[in-house]
Amino acid sequence: MSIAVRSAYGLSRHAKPVALGVGVCAVAAATAGAIALTRGEARAQTTVLAVTTIVAGCTFVAGGIVAWLRRPANLTGPLMMAAGFLLFGTSMAQADQSLPFTIGLVIGAVPAAVVAHLVVAFPDGRLHSPSERLVVGAAYLDVTVVQIVMLMFMGFERINGCPCPDNLLLVRDDAGVHSALMGGQRVLTVAVTVGLGGLLAWRWRAASRPLRRAIAPVLWTTAVTIVLLVGSVLTADAVSDGLGAASRIALAAVPIAYLLGLFTARIARVGVSDLVVELGRLSGPGQLRVALARALRDPSLELAYWIPESQTYVGIGGQAVDVGAVPGRTVTVVERGGRRVAAMVHDPALDDNPELLDAVGSAAWLALENERLQAELRAQLEELRDSRARIVDAGDTARRRLERNLHDGAQQRLVALSVALGLAETKLDSDPYKAAALLAAARAELAVALEELREIARGLHPAILSRGLAVALEGLGERSPVPVELHVDAVERPPPSVEAAAYYVVAEALTNVARYAQASTATVRVTGDDAQLRVEVSDDGMGGAAITKGSGLQGLRDRVEAIGGRLEIRSRPGSGTRLTATLPLQPRPAADHEPGDAERD
Amino acid sequence: MQSGTEPARTRVVIADDSVLLREGIAALLDDSGFEVIAQCGTADELLMIVRSYRPDIAIVDIRMPPTHTDEGLRAAQEIRERYPGTSVLVLSQYIESGYALDLLAESAEGVGYLLKDRISDVREFAAGVRRVADGGTALDPAVVSRLVGSRRGKGPLDELSPREREVLELMAEGRSNQGISARLVITERAVEKHVTSIFQKLQLPAASDDHRRVLAVLTYLRAG
Repeated sequence: MSIAVRSAYGLSRHAKPVALGVGVCAVAAATAGAIALTRGEARAQTTVLAVTTIVAGCTFVAGGIVAWLRRPANLTGPLMMAAGFLLFGTSMAQADQSLPFTIGLVIGAVPAAVVAHLVVAFPDGRLHSPSERLVVGAAYLDVTVVQIVMLMFMGFERINGCPCPDNLLLVRDDAGVHSALMGGQRVLTVAVTVGLGGLLAWRWRAASRPLRRAIAPVLWTTAVTIVLLVGSVLTADAVSDGLGAASRIALAAVPIAYLLGLFTARIARVGVSDLVVELGRLSGPGQLRVALARALRDPSLELAYWIPESQTYVGIGGQAVDVGAVPGRTVTVVERGGRRVAAMVHDPALDDNPELLDAVGSAAWLALENERLQAELRAQLEELRDSRARIVDAGDTARRRLERNLHDGAQQRLVALSVALGLAETKLDSDPYKAAALLAAARAELAVALEELREIARGLHPAILSRGLAVALEGLGERSPVPVELHVDAVERPPPSVEAAAYYVVAEALTNVARYAQASTATVRVTGDDAQLRVEVSDDGMGGAAITKGSGLQGLRDRVEAIGGRLEIRSRPGSGTRLTATLPLQPRPAADHEPGDAERD
Repeated sequence: MQSGTEPARTRVVIADDSVLLREGIAALLDDSGFEVIAQCGTADELLMIVRSYRPDIAIVDIRMPPTHTDEGLRAAQEIRERYPGTSVLVLSQYIESGYALDLLAESAEGVGYLLKDRISDVREFAAGVRRVADGGTALDPAVVSRLVGSRRGKGPLDELSPREREVLELMAEGRSNQGISARLVITERAVEKHVTSIFQKLQLPAASDDHRRVLAVLTYLRAG
């Protein structure tokens, strides 16, 4: 699960001066390139090629600075700047001195590899799979090691017939070795190009709609550039020069394509202002999601609302939502004044546009808060429905148990009693002693039946409550097998529903103590004021109790919550159990989250 | 099978999960000349006993473990299907006409359904047990009066005289002419006359056996 909390998005303090420095260097390098160009006209490279190379270098450095300023953690900016300087560097091949000439030859093809790296790593600047690393690695190998080895066997005078400076790398001018190496380089270049094409095609197929929109300009300009570059390497002189110049122009468009990506984000911001207008017109549930999806250009957007009370997310209908459950989705949390409002579950392509997410989140937070309150209300209704169903179930279960108790107990005994009396009647004349014995047995049976009826009646409603809670609790304490210490503050008589709830809390708690806790003593404490009654039952037993579904405690919690109260349990294994019920004396709406809070932020 | 010259005693098995009631019934039947050969508390045990000992009659409580719903009734139906030689008398704490009619759906031969309250009238209860054991019927008067009472609107039943209605209800309970005459303190001839009149008024075919007569009357009452 990835939760990105977008609240601040800034640059490091040093970014701007560094960017300025890079810009100055670029201007200097471009100037140097231009000077070299004017001085080395005699050589094979055409002016067009040289000029387009410098133009491409400029756009790369400029684009790299912008990208780096906007995404300091993303490697794309630095890579673009590097490509730009390398392009300037290729102009050194026009120099008259041997050293710059040789350096220009060595780095001549490196920009192509960097561009390949750039496009594979787009948009997050990272290489993700082994195949990506393999293709990019092969590209760098091709333009560095293979290039240098080839230069070691390349005599320029023989090949180009030009008055060139010395190739400092030259070991031996060997036409055979050189052409063999050249052939090898071509094969490797074609392989890298095919691999790159495969990667990009796969990326396009796998991309979601918003991601395709984001990567399309970069992908297309790069593809065209690389095709042209490779073409210029593989073809003969005249065609090669033309293709080379064309590839430089396409290359110059690559950073522009990247900036265009950023620019679309700006266009999307225009969508945010549309969103603000639209927010004012929202009328029904679900429309907010549609509006936000439009502003973010992500139709798959989902919204989840934060419920502070249960620390969970719910959907607009109040149903529980697990925001971390879907892989391949990103969660952006919308916060306001340090309080969580909602979560936008969206396409990971939007990760690269935190400003847009921020802008949409800020624009829509009030609408989100509004829907959040509705969702919270629905969640409460849902819980209410559940607890109501549980209360009905509990009532049915109690009635069933009662029927069973009556059927198997008192009723059965009374039938048996009537049989015994019938028998006695038949014996009255023939066997009076037997009849007397039967009557005595019948009377004993009747006493048991009466006792059972009394128990059942008490289960229906503790009649003793009419004498007050304290007296009723005393009775519970006396019947408990575990010794009970009872403290009841003198409080005014609470309403009957509160008294009954308090009684059942203590009854259930003491039953649990006797059954499970293995405690030596239990304490019942009842305190209260004008507003509420607090009932606390603690023991020194083994602990480890919990309010689980279908348990007696769950039924108790439902009863307590039904009158607006709260039931809490503290029961660490080994350190006893404390059950606390807080019962309001005045009925109140069960709402802890005050809607007014939101507007005050 | 039986030794000596004494007439064979009716062999009874009692199934009820209340030991107390079971013992009471056993004592009562023993006094009334029955031979209680076994008692048990579950339907499974009952079926085992019936299979092994083929008693003349099984007295069965409807509600027994494990679910305490209608285990006894289902066991009773199985006994009737598989062991025709064993009559079944079902005891219930409540009147459920549906249960009774299920039991008598196919045949009223050797079957009974009585409220537990009836047991305390020892002689009447013993007579009912004997009647069912001998292949007759014992349907609780409360079930019969419910069936009669549940008929709506005017019909042939309204043409019966009060006396004829009494006779009809006693017939539905499964009593013989002799039983009815004893109950109403009239002669058997008078009973026969009433019965003929009832069958004419209700346009029922005359039935030879008491249990066929019960079925005919019940079918008529149910159809209402």
